[in-house]
Amino acid sequence: MRDNDSSADDIGTQYYATQLGIYDEMYATEKRALPHWKRFMAALDTMGIDRFELRRKEAQRLLRENGVTYNVYGDSQNLTRPWQLDPIPLLISSHEWLSIEAGLKQRADLLDLILKDIYGKQNLLKKGLLPAELIFGHEGFLHPCMSALHHQKRHLTIYSANLARGPNGSMWVLDDRTQAPSGSGYALENRTVMTRVLPDIFCDTQVRRLSSFFKLLHKGLVDIAPHNKEDPRIVILTPGPLNETYFEHAYLAAYLGYSLVQGDDLTVRDGRVWLKSLTGLQAIDVILRRIDDSFCDPLEMFIGSKLGVAGLLEVVRRGNVAIANPLGSSVLENPGLLAFLPRLSRYFLDQELKLPSIATWWCGQKRERDFVLQNIDNLVIKPINRGLNNHAVFGGLLSSKEKDNLRSQIAAKPHFFIGQEHVNFSTLPAFIDQQIEPRNAILRSFVVATGDDYEVMPGGLTRIAPQKDNFTVSNQAGGISKDTWVLATEPDKKIIFWTQPPHNQRIDAVKEPLTSRAADHLFWVGRHLERAEAVTRLLRSILIKHRETLDFKDPVDGDCLTILLRTLTQVTGTYPGFIKCDALFLKSPDLELLSLVKDSHRNGSLSSNINAFFKAAFSIRDFWSQDTWRSVDTIHRRWQERVINTEVTIDHLQENLDDLMNSIVAFTGLTSESMTREAAWVMLDSGRRLERALALIALLRSTLALRHKDALQHQVLEAVLISTDSLSIYQRRYRSYIQLPLVLDLLLLDESHPRSVGYQLKQLSIHINSLSKGKSNRYLSEEERLILKIYTDIRLCNLHELTQVNEDVGVFKDFEKLLSTTSELLWRLSEVIAETYFSHSQISQLMPLNSQEDEL
Amino acid sequence: MKYRITHSTLYHYSQSVGLCQSEAKLQPRNFWRQHCHSSYFDISPKPIDFRERSDFFGNRVAYFAIQQSHSKLIVTSISEVSLYLRQHNVDLVNPIKWEQVRNFLQGHSQSQTFLTQSHESILELIEARQYLLDSPMITIIPDLADYAKISFHPGRSLIEVVYDLVARIHKDFTYDPASTSIATPLFEVISLRRGVCQDFAHLAIGCLRAYGIAARYISGYVETLPEKGKPRLVGADASHAWFSVYIPGTGWLDFDPTNNTMPIDQHITLAWGRDYADVTPLKGIAFGGGQHTLSVSVDVLRLK
Repeated sequence: MRDNDSSADDIGTQYYATQLGIYDEMYATEKRALPHWKRFMAALDTMGIDRFELRRKEAQRLLRENGVTYNVYGDSQNLTRPWQLDPIPLLISSHEWLSIEAGLKQRADLLDLILKDIYGKQNLLKKGLLPAELIFGHEGFLHPCMSALHHQKRHLTIYSANLARGPNGSMWVLDDRTQAPSGSGYALENRTVMTRVLPDIFCDTQVRRLSSFFKLLHKGLVDIAPHNKEDPRIVILTPGPLNETYFEHAYLAAYLGYSLVQGDDLTVRDGRVWLKSLTGLQAIDVILRRIDDSFCDPLEMFIGSKLGVAGLLEVVRRGNVAIANPLGSSVLENPGLLAFLPRLSRYFLDQELKLPSIATWWCGQKRERDFVLQNIDNLVIKPINRGLNNHAVFGGLLSSKEKDNLRSQIAAKPHFFIGQEHVNFSTLPAFIDQQIEPRNAILRSFVVATGDDYEVMPGGLTRIAPQKDNFTVSNQAGGISKDTWVLATEPDKKIIFWTQPPHNQRIDAVKEPLTSRAADHLFWVGRHLERAEAVTRLLRSILIKHRETLDFKDPVDGDCLTILLRTLTQVTGTYPGFIKCDALFLKSPDLELLSLVKDSHRNGSLSSNINAFFKAAFSIRDFWSQDTWRSVDTIHRRWQERVINTEVTIDHLQENLDDLMNSIVAFTGLTSESMTREAAWVMLDSGRRLERALALIALLRSTLALRHKDALQHQVLEAVLISTDSLSIYQRRYRSYIQLPLVLDLLLLDESHPRSVGYQLKQLSIHINSLSKGKSNRYLSEEERLILKIYTDIRLCNLHELTQVNEDVGVFKDFEKLLSTTSELLWRLSEVIAETYFSHSQISQLMPLNSQEDEL
Repeated sequence: MKYRITHSTLYHYSQSVGLCQSEAKLQPRNFWRQHCHSSYFDISPKPIDFRERSDFFGNRVAYFAIQQSHSKLIVTSISEVSLYLRQHNVDLVNPIKWEQVRNFLQGHSQSQTFLTQSHESILELIEARQYLLDSPMITIIPDLADYAKISFHPGRSLIEVVYDLVARIHKDFTYDPASTSIATPLFEVISLRRGVCQDFAHLAIGCLRAYGIAARYISGYVETLPEKGKPRLVGADASHAWFSVYIPGTGWLDFDPTNNTMPIDQHITLAWGRDYADVTPLKGIAFGGGQHTLSVSVDVLRLK
């Protein structure tokens, strides 16, 4: 406990109690807050707790709306967890930062040299500086990667270290991240949000800026390109939307202007890596990977991997693609290496380590093993390989039986284990439940190689434990993040990401190719949302009619409702529904209606379409502008909050559907106002047009293709016009005179009406022609032929013949035939588009290994 | 002894394959008792991209990619190899005890080792030590140590231990191609007491590693002789597997637990590694293809 005399102790009447014997960032070992903390806390004090809480909430709102998430494995219900940001940053003085920075650069240097040696001459093994078991026994050492490193100045392009402060106040490295370090994007987003919610304090504090780091990252990636050094094509290789840090992959792709790709977007041919795009194969020069290295090439490494690219390592070997970081670099993440770094630093650099590692004993050596076994109670025991069943354990928390078990495991495979000192990390102030309290913290720092040098991000991602007195800091366990403010002695210059070309240089716009996968997702974003819209509109007119049958008790209303309910089943494809059911079911449709609205496990329901829309949009997160993403999020989140997670009755549906309609329209409006009319737009809009045509046809088939008595016909026509948002335009055109051919003229043929079938077909045919353009010669492609036929059939139809009354039948036969043929052809068109443009769906399969029968 | 080996693998696909990447370890390597005079591939359809290299273990590897559409793939390798009888009887009576070998490999006085040994023997030792560890298909489990225990008498020479272990595996285990697959784990092989050459090699390696002895896996061929009075059948041979154990002072000695022999002049070595996963003769990733069938033929012809 501390004295309560300094002003920084009294923060908004909150008492800040540090823990005994633990270093605190704010106090160091003194009784008074450090000067830079004192200034920050004084500013906070002036603001007051209530206002600060408002700022915190504002930060959370911004993060949520920007879609900043962290995916939690094995939590299918709540896949994406909103990113948590505590508004009190970690403050690091400029003086201290100098030494941290120097330490990180030195460490990156050292690890780079070790990597080069392990996959090259292996002098460290030959000279006995590293034991063979330590390297060969680690999963990160990949035999196929031997001698596969490029001729680069630096092999380790990106490096990240987790730092924490020990009880004596000096910074230690907890572990090194060397294959695909994550977190830099989250750090940048944290900063963006902090400057918005605490602009005043941020400005007064003189904080070093982060953007220069990303400029260097880009330069570093350009530097390692084996070809096209002036303008290499760089992609970010992601495992996909289920990965825990997928948000960051999409965020960095958008920020740096690279294509975000998954393994099957790429293919290896002629000894090079290619991106499959709508316009053919595009050569790739550099891959920034977010896939663990053993998963990157199923041919030479983990054969069951669906995430990688077959043949990738062979392309690397030939020097035709550079990967950051190189395949095999996870060998440096072996915690057993920590014990050898001081010696290797002297060997390679002739220097002592500037940033010490946490004290580590590798059990592969007898003396160290004996020490670990004797001191097991005071150590953390870790396997050198990270895996699902390989956890660190605190020796002191084990029962004596568990301890014996662990001892015999160590004795059996000693090289497999390390012992580490159990350290109490420093604490730092955190704003939790409107109070300021100390939490254990670790800082993830980032380093990038540009040419010969390493540069450190002036800042980083600070994370604190989710509970007080808890030392486990991890995002999977629900950690909270913080911004990291490295203080400058003078104001940092604002660095602009843009570069100026040399005078008189002509600049060509780079059109990033649209990957087949992204095209596929865009197409389905359009289709799912359009489906949701059609169902919403139809549901709204059903609810009106439902109300009227209860209010007026007119049997014609009841008949009209029946027709609309059956139409709903047809449009959503949720058979048997209202098609095959008894009169009672039609009389009390509430349960079925609610199910069609809420039940997300039911195919065709509104919720299932909204979910599918969200999933497809999330899979191409990097495509959406911030505003557009916010509208995607709104559609999904509000629906979850207001309909899925609440007890909704039929009476409350109408307002929720209106609300949904508004957010759908916001998305539609934003996309049509902010997307350039290139391939991405064509795909999105094609999906939308195709689906709208299909939904309209389904609607017309089950309402107007049937013959009704006059009174009923009027009601049905009106309901159809309402469901297609066309009532007012009809009334303006034809006054109160309602007639089938006129309605059909508007909804089927009128190409100037955006809700007519004709309009959809016209747009589709424009889109399809633009996609096929430049592809081939004088012959029409199959999709061009299909749309030409569909469009022409509709244009050539004669409405008066189609609606000719034939006394015997209750159906307009020719009309019905036209609609059913058009519908079939549209479905076929959708298949052809998928086959032609979404070729990534071709599945790879493993040829069998030599079968056993042929072995002696 | 000179041989010509023809190894042919045929894949038949129900649907066409648009792209196929493969890796073959089907060319015999050279070492002290084997020289490969020539080795070439005949692949149909012809691969657009073909390149040879050697891998971490010094084995010969061929990478090839077929980029045109095909529904049938034939990979044939034809090699001519001479075997030399250079085994010294002295090697077979190396009296070094298994405990001595274990301690030597564990390097109880590691730093001292590096000071006193010659450069070559240090390299040999480092190389051997990687074959002590778990590998993709061989995880050391107590079952292995239990099975091998009877062979590891205290104070017994390592060579005697291995002879005994090989003889026991040959006696205790039934050769049965139907009983296991490539994916059958070792503990299952132990409880089934059945398997094929690959399983027996893995088993022996696992038993040795469980006692701190370095052992590696060898893929290759063995010459089979027709029964008396019957003509030799072309293509009826098969690929084979056995193992090698490291004995300080002697080097690597081969043993064939399937046939309870020491390979000398009838075993042709293709490649070696920690286990089957390192030396898979032919593997690949095909795009498309649907269902497929596979047939293999191997012919080992003695030339002189």
